[in-house]
Parts: sequence; structure tokens; C-alpha cells
Amino acid sequence: MRITRKAAGAAAAAVTVALTLTACGGAADSAEPGSAEKVSTDEDITISLAWWGEPARAEMYEEAVDLFEEEHPNITVQTQFQDWDAYWTARATEAAGGALPDVIQMDLSYLRQYGATGQLLDLGGQVGVNLDTAGVDDSLLGSGQIDGSQFGVPTSTNTLSLFYNADALEKIGVEPLAEGYTWDDLNAWMEKVSKAGAGEDPVIYSGADYTGTFWFFLQWLVQQGVTPFTDDGQLGFDEAQMTEWLNKGQSLRDAEAFYPIKQAKQLEPLGGFHVNESASEASWDNFLAGYVAESGQDIRMLPMPSGENGPQQFWKPSMLLSASAETEQPEAAAALIDFLINEPEVGAIFGTSKGVPAVAEQRDAMKVEPGSVDEKVVQYEEDVADVVTESAPVPVEGFGEIEAEFKRLGEELQYGNVTVDEFVTQWFSFADGAVKQS
Amino acid sequence: MSDTHIVTPPLSAQAAAAGVPVSGGSRPPGPIDTTSRQAAKRRKGVRSLGFHAFMVVCTIVVLYPAAWMLTSSFKPSNEIIGNISLWSDNFSATNFATALSGIGGVGFWTFFGNSMILAVASVVGVILSSTVAAYAFARIDFPGRSVFFAIMIGTLLLPFHVVIIPQYIMFNELGMVNTFIPLLAPKFLAGEAFFVFLMVQFMRNLPRELDEAARIDGAGHVRIFRSIMLPLMRPAIITSSIFAFIWSWNDFLGPLLYLKKPDMYPLPIALRLYVDQTSVSDYGAQMAMAVLALLPVMIFFILFQRYIVDGVATQGLKG
Repeated sequence: MRITRKAAGAAAAAVTVALTLTACGGAADSAEPGSAEKVSTDEDITISLAWWGEPARAEMYEEAVDLFEEEHPNITVQTQFQDWDAYWTARATEAAGGALPDVIQMDLSYLRQYGATGQLLDLGGQVGVNLDTAGVDDSLLGSGQIDGSQFGVPTSTNTLSLFYNADALEKIGVEPLAEGYTWDDLNAWMEKVSKAGAGEDPVIYSGADYTGTFWFFLQWLVQQGVTPFTDDGQLGFDEAQMTEWLNKGQSLRDAEAFYPIKQAKQLEPLGGFHVNESASEASWDNFLAGYVAESGQDIRMLPMPSGENGPQQFWKPSMLLSASAETEQPEAAAALIDFLINEPEVGAIFGTSKGVPAVAEQRDAMKVEPGSVDEKVVQYEEDVADVVTESAPVPVEGFGEIEAEFKRLGEELQYGNVTVDEFVTQWFSFADGAVKQS
Repeated sequence: MSDTHIVTPPLSAQAAAAGVPVSGGSRPPGPIDTTSRQAAKRRKGVRSLGFHAFMVVCTIVVLYPAAWMLTSSFKPSNEIIGNISLWSDNFSATNFATALSGIGGVGFWTFFGNSMILAVASVVGVILSSTVAAYAFARIDFPGRSVFFAIMIGTLLLPFHVVIIPQYIMFNELGMVNTFIPLLAPKFLAGEAFFVFLMVQFMRNLPRELDEAARIDGAGHVRIFRSIMLPLMRPAIITSSIFAFIWSWNDFLGPLLYLKKPDMYPLPIALRLYVDQTSVSDYGAQMAMAVLALLPVMIFFILFQRYIVDGVATQGLKG
């Protein structure tokens, strides 16, 4: 197994190169809205749909697809699913062969890689005919566009949150942070938690080193009034800003107040927060389900730390749906996407497992049980709605690579193998090569 | 698991060897230097005890992860990661029930059946095609033989990843994606250079006098291959079968690229669905399915492992 996995990774890398080499055609002109034909109701059509996820999601999709097939008896949907890594390996190979499935679940970090290389269908032409996007918030819809072409439609949203373990805090006698706290407050609080938790068995740490996560850096940049990525797909920040950000965690790193990286690596893919050895963790709000399932304790949520103008959070599409540029059935593909984002019953089936649904009808149709994880996430998104003031940064091409490099260097920083300055120099020289000049 | 079987035989062999001097002690002792001999025996006994203790520790270290996987398959999911203990107070078989209930409407036995079809067909294909190809390379002096042989060895050196995309495009154009053909065709066409090479080397070591005797008796290539070579190649055939079976059973990338329908997935793909980092992971079910997926390979290996040693040992003999 080990060798094959490594092989799969190498294959994915090889394929990515080939993909960028073979598909330099670039996007066509954006399609005229409403230029498509209505989906046929008598012709027999077969389309394929692919997603990543665990068995529970597979059951939900199968259920939703059954409903779609009931509504369109002439359309058969051929489904397939893989786990995250395997999914992108398979998609990259298919893209190189011009054989992507008709409808694919898409992630924001891959949108530009596939969209800007002409692999995805501009859904703009289907809008108003087979695809209704009126229910999706404009700034959210915009995150699925590149140069005016609608390459993906967001199905659901999430936003960042600071989770804390209320049971653990009570055990060590530290008050949780109050809303409206700043990054400095967070640091002071983390130091206090680490001191109080040091005597416990096992030791309770304050949380993981937050400076090593790229999205938190982006969130902080937004609070500084910086647009992280420019419209032409370049970096909008400089070395000095990254140095300032990384130095925020330096005193805590020196005091060994963060969850130790050695322990974290042993626990992967879980983290210290999952196993109740860490009192807080910042992450996407739909991670709540995973935290609750693993830890079994009272997990609560706070908005992100505030900058000068409040937290200034953004909605990130937690998932998009895209259609293949090579599809022979663009109308049916658009109809399926439309069904998946708008149909209230689909909302009821998925709940918040993909994030909070983007369309209000789906949100309302969810059967949220009082006290359930779904209810907490929906409640959180309603609570923070007024501090969500910005639109999500549209990732540059090569985002996945620069994010991974940021994470890797973040770990090296925690091991003490690099200094903050070395981190910044190495990351920028990596990003120079990885971010595509478009 | 292979380590166990390689470790165990020397252990028992050592034990048997250690037993000899002890039983030798019951024979009438010689009149001279009895004491120094006994001391030597004692020293030997202590050494062998130390050796065994060391080997037992090594075996435990090697076996621990397997034992951990086995017991973890009976634990609840949240007691698996970050926990190296073998024991749990909450042992139950629910993980196996989850694993056996399948994924997204496709049952466990479908995945299992697909893996079995692929593995068995691979073995059949490899044996049928590689033996014939090897016979040609080893015994028939056709024009360009050495060039073709070099090309075949060349495919061994070519990384698989270089050919993935062209291969995928080719099979896609032929409309063979979503069938087992892309995975099995190379096996039936002697595309597995490793097995051909292994058999060529084996055949080269068989005495040529046997073929010559057969030829004098009037046998052609078909008869020589069938009646002389095949029976003698048994060790090489069995070794190849074992490798072909295990490689096909564990193959992940091939099925991932060519099989798009969930009801055609083999076990390795289904196995990974339980751990999805973007949502809730079910480690317990994954462990349970891993145990179930390992069983056939283990049984296969235990039944045939002595032939592996035979096969490899005879490779080195000069005819």
C-alpha cells in the first residue's frame, strides 16, 4: 500500500505538469447568458457526476440523484466517488485525456487550475435557462468566476471560526475569550491557558500554532486592508507583512505554549484539539462535526480575532459544482447542478455536511434538530453574518502548492529548523515559481 | 506479514540446533576434560537463550502494528488514533458491520469480488503469457531477439508515471475505460516485463540437453514447451503467481484511473473512502475493512510461501 500511495502522489504531480503543458489554450470568451437550449425531456441522456467524500456523503448524493432522476426520467446519472487525494489524481488524468466527468464537485483552490486552462464549462450560458443562480449571493457567486466566466457554482458556504473546548477550560479554570477579542488578546489568553494546563495529565495546551495556516494569514491581511491576490492572479502582499504575521506567534513558540508539533505529527490526520489535549483551534466552521465526533466534549465557537475594523470575515464557498468543457450534454449537466443547489429536499438530505447551503430555500428545508451540530453551525453563521463584511479572496493558480509550502515551512518553524526570516525568503522564492503568470 | 514467516523458520531451526548439544550430553561422557566441555555447553546455552530472547523481542516489534490493527478494528473510532494500546474496554464488532454494509449502496462483497476477479485473472494472464514469451526469449533464436529482450528490460526501467497519461488517452479513445480490460490486457499480453524476465532467467538455467533429447525424439517447440519446460518451471510459475496476485490485490492507481463506477471498485479504493480529511472519518470501519481485505492475501501467502523460497533459491542454481 505504501508504495502505491507514494506512486499515486508522484503520478498526481506528473499529471499536473502535463495538464498545464497540454492545456494552455486558455478560457474561451464568456458565454452569453441564456444562450443555451432548454434541457430535452424525451431524449435518453446519461451524464456522469463525481465527488470526493466519505461513505455517508455517498449515500446522501445517491439519494439526491434518485430524486433528480425521478424529476427527469429521461436522464440517467452515473455516479462515482473517491477520497480527496485520489479524487484529484483521477481528475487530473482525465483532464489530460479530455474526459472529465460531466459534473464534478470542485474546490476553490483547484478552480483556477481547471478553469483557466479551459477544462471547465462556462455555465454563464445556462443561467436563466437550465440553471437558476438567483438564490446565490452575488459576492459568493463571484468566487466561482474567473475573468467573467462562471466556471463553478458554490453549493454552500463556510467561514473561519475559533473553536474552544469548554470542558477543558473549566477543568483548568480559565475563562473563555470574550467576543470582540484581538490577536493580542488571543496571544495573552493562549499563554494563560498553557500555564494553567501544564499540570494536567495529559498536559492541556492552548492550541496549535495559528501562524502556520495560510488562510489565517489571508484573514489577517484582509483585516489590514490588503487584498491578498490581485485581479490578474498575482500576490498582493509582501515580505514585511508576512514577517510581521509570523512574528505574532514567536513569543508563544519560545515559551512552548503551542501544541507541540511532534505530538501533532503523530496524531495526524487528527489534531490535539480532537483528542482534548488542546483547548482551542481555529478552523472552518463546518469542522465542528468532526471535532464533536472525536472529542465528545463541549465544543463552542467564536468569531476570528478582530483587527481594527472587527473580524472582517468572509464567506468561502466550501464546495462548488462545475461542468466539464468537453461534456456532450451541457444542458443536462446544468440541470443537475441547478437541482443540487436549489432543490429544498436536497438541502434536507445534506444538512450542513458540505457547509451551510448557499440558497435560502435549502437552508430553510434543513431539519435541524435542537442542540445538534447542524444547528450550532447554522446558528454560528447567522451570528457572525454581520461581521462577514468581505468577499473571499479568489485563489491564484498554484494556490494549492503555495498553501502546502506555507504549511510545510510552518512546521519547520515549529521544529526550530528555520527562522521567521528564512521562512519568508524561502516561501517567496517558492511562490515566484508556483504562481502562474497569467 | 512476510517478516514473520521469514523470522520464524530460523527461530525453530535454531531451537532444534540448540537442542542437539543438550541431548548429546546424555551420551557417555569422555573421561578427559569433561568440565571444560560442560562449561562450553553452558556458555552456548546462555548465548542461545540470549539470541532467542532477542529474536522474540524483534518479532514482537515487527508484529505489534499488525496486532494493533487487528484489535483496533474492534475498537470505537475515537479510541484508535493517538492510542497505541492494544486493549480497550469497549470491544465490539460494529466496525465489521459498518464495513460489511458497504458504501453508497455498493456492498462489501462487490468490492471483494472485483478485487478477486482482477487478482485471479491477473495470475492467469501472467502465467499464460509470460511463460510463452519467456520460452521464445530463452530457447528460440529468432532474428532481433537480443534487441527485443533489451526493449523488454527497458520497459522495466521506464517509470509507470511516464506512461499513465498516454495510456489513459489510448484506452479512453478505445472506449475501454470502465471495463477491466485496461487492467488485465497487459497481463494477458506479457506486458509485465518483470515476470517474463524472471522466467527467462529461470529457463536459461534449465539444461539444454533436455530440449535436445526431446528434439531427437521428434518433439517440436510446442511439445517441448508443454512437456519439458512447463513442468520444470513450476517454482518460477508459483513465485510469479504469488507476486501477480498480491500486486493486483493491492493495486490502487490502476483501478482508480480506469474504473469509474462504484460497483466496479476493488477493495483498496473502497478502503480509503473511510478516511476523508474534509469531513468525519470512520477509522474503525477502515480498520475492519483493512483486516477483511488482508485475509485473502494472508491466506494466499501462507499457503504458498514455501514455494517463494523454493522459487528464489532455484533461480541461483547453475544448470
